[in-house]
Amino acid sequence: MPDRLRNRLREERARRNLTQADLATLVGVSRKTINTVENGVFVPSTELALRLARALKTPVESLFQLAE
Amino acid sequence: MQPETTVELADRVSRKRAIGVAAAGLAYLIVQVVARPFFVGGADIDRRVRIDFWGINAIALLLLLATGGGLINSRKVRALVNDEVSRDHYKSAIIAAHWVAMTIAMALYFIPRFSTITAREAIYAVVTPSIIVATLVFSYLELRAHRDA
Repeated sequence: MPDRLRNRLREERARRNLTQADLATLVGVSRKTINTVENGVFVPSTELALRLARALKTPVESLFQLAE
Repeated sequence: MQPETTVELADRVSRKRAIGVAAAGLAYLIVQVVARPFFVGGADIDRRVRIDFWGINAIALLLLLATGGGLINSRKVRALVNDEVSRDHYKSAIIAAHWVAMTIAMALYFIPRFSTITAREAIYAVVTPSIIVATLVFSYLELRAHRDA
């Protein structure tokens, strides 16, 4: 990915005072999934991106952006 | 002390699995170097035992890779342990193993020009490195995903 897709997952999670484990529980994935997405190591599927956006109550396009 | 949540349990199981798969892959590699079940002579019985042991070991590792292990855990925990990221790691490991197998298989195709090997030896030469690569790539990617988590 990683240079072509940026995400603000860590910032949004921190803004809501959620730990990686909290967010993982809300989304129904493992903590390593949250970690790898935050670190830009893993590009989530559309379904997971939408689930993350819903859990953080934010539009998916504000969570993930294509790097210019 | 607070009870462990499903996510925490899955996290622990996943880490243990990554370490376990790495250890199993390395142990398998060491056994091949030390015992050398094929390509080395010796008493017939001794050689047969080593070859059979190799087969059992290979099947066990293939089953571990195929199932993801952790069958004693609940369905919910297994779903978390084998979630999107782990499935992606599994795919990467299998792709790496596939190319190792193809490369060795093509090399073996040309070997009969120089020497003769049996079908079992050829299977051993293809399967062993492929399994080792699959286990090591999978465990490396899993451990990397756990880092800083």
